[in-house]
Amino acid sequence: MSELRWNPVLREWVAYATHRQNRTFLPPAEYCPLCPTKPGGFPTEVPRESYGIAVFENRFPSFTPDAPEPDAPDDPFQKVAAGRGVCEVVLYSSEHGSTLAGMTERHIGNLTRVWADRYRELAARDDVSYVYIFENKGEAVGVTLHHPHGQVYGYPFVPPVPKREIDGAREYLANNGSPLHADLLASEQRDGRRVVVAGEHFTAFVPFFARYPYEVHLYANRAVPNIAAFSEDEVRDFARTMKRLLSGYDALFGFSLPYIMAMHQSPTDGKNYDGLAHFHVEFYPPNRTENKLKYLAGSEAGAGAFIMDAAPEETAGRLRAAIESASGMGERR
Amino acid sequence: MPDEPFDTLDKETVEKEDGRYIVFYTFDDDSETDDQPEDDS
Repeated sequence: MSELRWNPVLREWVAYATHRQNRTFLPPAEYCPLCPTKPGGFPTEVPRESYGIAVFENRFPSFTPDAPEPDAPDDPFQKVAAGRGVCEVVLYSSEHGSTLAGMTERHIGNLTRVWADRYRELAARDDVSYVYIFENKGEAVGVTLHHPHGQVYGYPFVPPVPKREIDGAREYLANNGSPLHADLLASEQRDGRRVVVAGEHFTAFVPFFARYPYEVHLYANRAVPNIAAFSEDEVRDFARTMKRLLSGYDALFGFSLPYIMAMHQSPTDGKNYDGLAHFHVEFYPPNRTENKLKYLAGSEAGAGAFIMDAAPEETAGRLRAAIESASGMGERR
Repeated sequence: MPDEPFDTLDKETVEKEDGRYIVFYTFDDDSETDDQPEDDS
């Protein structure tokens, strides 16, 4: 089954991809399907003996370009649509034990150019309305393969969170005559207490309204709508800022910190998002301490209201110190 | 990498045996990868 079902109460699509139940789950390193295929070894997803960065169609996709048109029940409460779209896996490196934080700025810069290429390619498709680049890192956020990788979803609709951001930006622009994200960024920069990395072209901060203790939003200083519109200098500074932030995350508690990384940028449904879309990355690490996780429990999952037990000003201070400590240990290029 | 020129990005799309595509990206200098490989545990 690969279909979308409409929730008329929350006004959002839910994707059903039942074949994903059988996807590979935490295989031992010697049977990693994302490593290169070695001579005489078992065939992995990568039919080559080595690679730099590679992107392939997910074997267990949530959306597929050829999803069949589902039977539509004669019931207004059972609205369905084909689960059409694209799901790709982005292999950051052939080194099984590496992480994004451990890669060089040059490699992260090259990866950024690959992400930009995927954005351009999927944005050109008629069946893709939103290109979502993301990474789940660590078993705490549900990772099933440890090899360093991220994903790209080409959704056939603009998903709820980016849509709420765009709607919020549209209302703010109408009321204030200026762009929401640029004004929010300027406010964080003016305040400064929650800024953790201040780069030439990017700024990373724990937002005033963070929903996770060490949540970070990494904004382009310029109102660039998507990753494909970065200048060369912006690609370099993005890689530098990512490296500093992620190294700091790993220094925070002394282990490779799990997180969800979500890139928000302009939809690709053919509409005009000038003044509304502003490229940024949101990181949600689940750890609230070294050995305690924040769960989405009653208030968060059932009511949509996050309850925080740590002030962003305090967690930003700790994270900033960890970033400075990691930088002091030597940052390679 | 303040003022270094970008590596040339080459891209090759290959169809796998089951019909899915895989895109290989290569750069001038793919010798570098990671600073510090980590244990998988």
